[in-house]
Amino acid sequence: MSKIQEIAAVVEAGKSKEIEALVKAALDEGVAPLEILNVGMIGAMDVVGAKFQKEEIFIPEMLVAARCMKKGVDVLKPHLGETGGAMIGKAVIGTVAGDLHDIGKNLVSMMIESAGFEVNDLGVDVPAEKFVEAAEADEGINLVAVSALLTTTMPAMKATVAALNASKARGRFKVLVGGAPITEGFCKEIGADAYSPDAGAAAQKAKSLV
Amino acid sequence: MIIIGEKLNGSIPGMAKAIEAKDEARIKELARMQTAAGADYLDVCASVQVDQEVDTLKWILDLVQGASDLPICLDSPSAETLVKALPFCQRTGIVNSVSGEGNKIDLIFPAIANTEWGCVALLCDDRGIPKSVEQRMEIFEAIMKRAKEFNIAPSRLYIDPLVITLSTDETALTVFAECTRQIKALYPEIHITSGLSNISFGLPARKLINMAFMVLAVGAGMDSAIVDPTNRDMLGLIYATEALMERDEYCLEFIGAYKEGRIGPPLESRKK
Repeated sequence: MSKIQEIAAVVEAGKSKEIEALVKAALDEGVAPLEILNVGMIGAMDVVGAKFQKEEIFIPEMLVAARCMKKGVDVLKPHLGETGGAMIGKAVIGTVAGDLHDIGKNLVSMMIESAGFEVNDLGVDVPAEKFVEAAEADEGINLVAVSALLTTTMPAMKATVAALNASKARGRFKVLVGGAPITEGFCKEIGADAYSPDAGAAAQKAKSLV
Repeated sequence: MIIIGEKLNGSIPGMAKAIEAKDEARIKELARMQTAAGADYLDVCASVQVDQEVDTLKWILDLVQGASDLPICLDSPSAETLVKALPFCQRTGIVNSVSGEGNKIDLIFPAIANTEWGCVALLCDDRGIPKSVEQRMEIFEAIMKRAKEFNIAPSRLYIDPLVITLSTDETALTVFAECTRQIKALYPEIHITSGLSNISFGLPARKLINMAFMVLAVGAGMDSAIVDPTNRDMLGLIYATEALMERDEYCLEFIGAYKEGRIGPPLESRKK
């Protein structure tokens, strides 16, 4: 097994204790840092997300895999250069105004980050203007992910997407929506770009959107 | 144990379909099934978009109350909706729910102040669901203060200390149980309730987690639950746990439920 394959296996299994030494060893062997990140880690998290969607693995396993990757990235970071290397984009994420639920949003945030995005997590109860402000504040933002868990906060999601759609920077980012009461139909109705039913699918959708 | 039947909730896919298809027979059947299984209240939640919620609730409530004599546990995340839908209920029931969030208490407590209505109160506020027992108890104390203002006796309150998902937080049950113990020590006559869908989210074999949660929560003092009363295993476990906790004198409730065929092997499968 090559070092890259070993890293992928360790990330997938979420073996946080082993990842640091393994990444160091790979770097010592002369493996390109970018390759470690893209193939070893992001590649492994792709597999994790896909397995989660098929219910072959469960939320805690996804959490430990992401935690493991994060530890590995910390070792890798100084070797990736200023841009952070392979970042495929920057994302803004948050739960809409009036909604305090963050479990789903946090999982999506983690999986999007693990897919190679730099994530600006605005937290919960985020007013529409704040989403717009964050999306416009950084030229690099190419994804805005909006979460709502309640039927009572679906109107706030609609208002948020409307505000994002009216933004002068709208051409530069895509809008992804999700949360328990949200459907593909509602996503279309309010003018978002994509809907995702779970965190694994969210990472895939995010990648395909940008 | 106060059993609040959970099945008439539009966030459950089968019920969502029944609402969408205006399937009156199905909704009545869900009411009858839960009544026969021994529920004390029927939770009714439309879980539709806000502008259709009051009308949908009225439609469901008329059907349910035509099929069952049980009181309603009126369930909506919107306090405005709850106040508007209260008059549709024929019997004194339970409002589900208030919390420390926004103006929920300001709207709902006055509406039930001079009634016998019960009320579910969630231990969260505008900051969300606090992680620690101490913070949840602060919210509890604030809710009790407001209840006193409106002369709502502790025995009318159903406190839900809130369970988060075990798959993302290992302390989900332990925090719930500790809140339950502390609240029961302060107000023995208060009720503690909870739903079951959150705790096992994201885990395999969810039934096992749900059942273990039920035993531990009842063990800590929970005396009400929003569950599927037609789930014989869960119902049997509730009766058994109550008996083990000295809350069922001579085990008569347990035996009675068995004899009625609501727990244990179904009547028709027992040897004559």
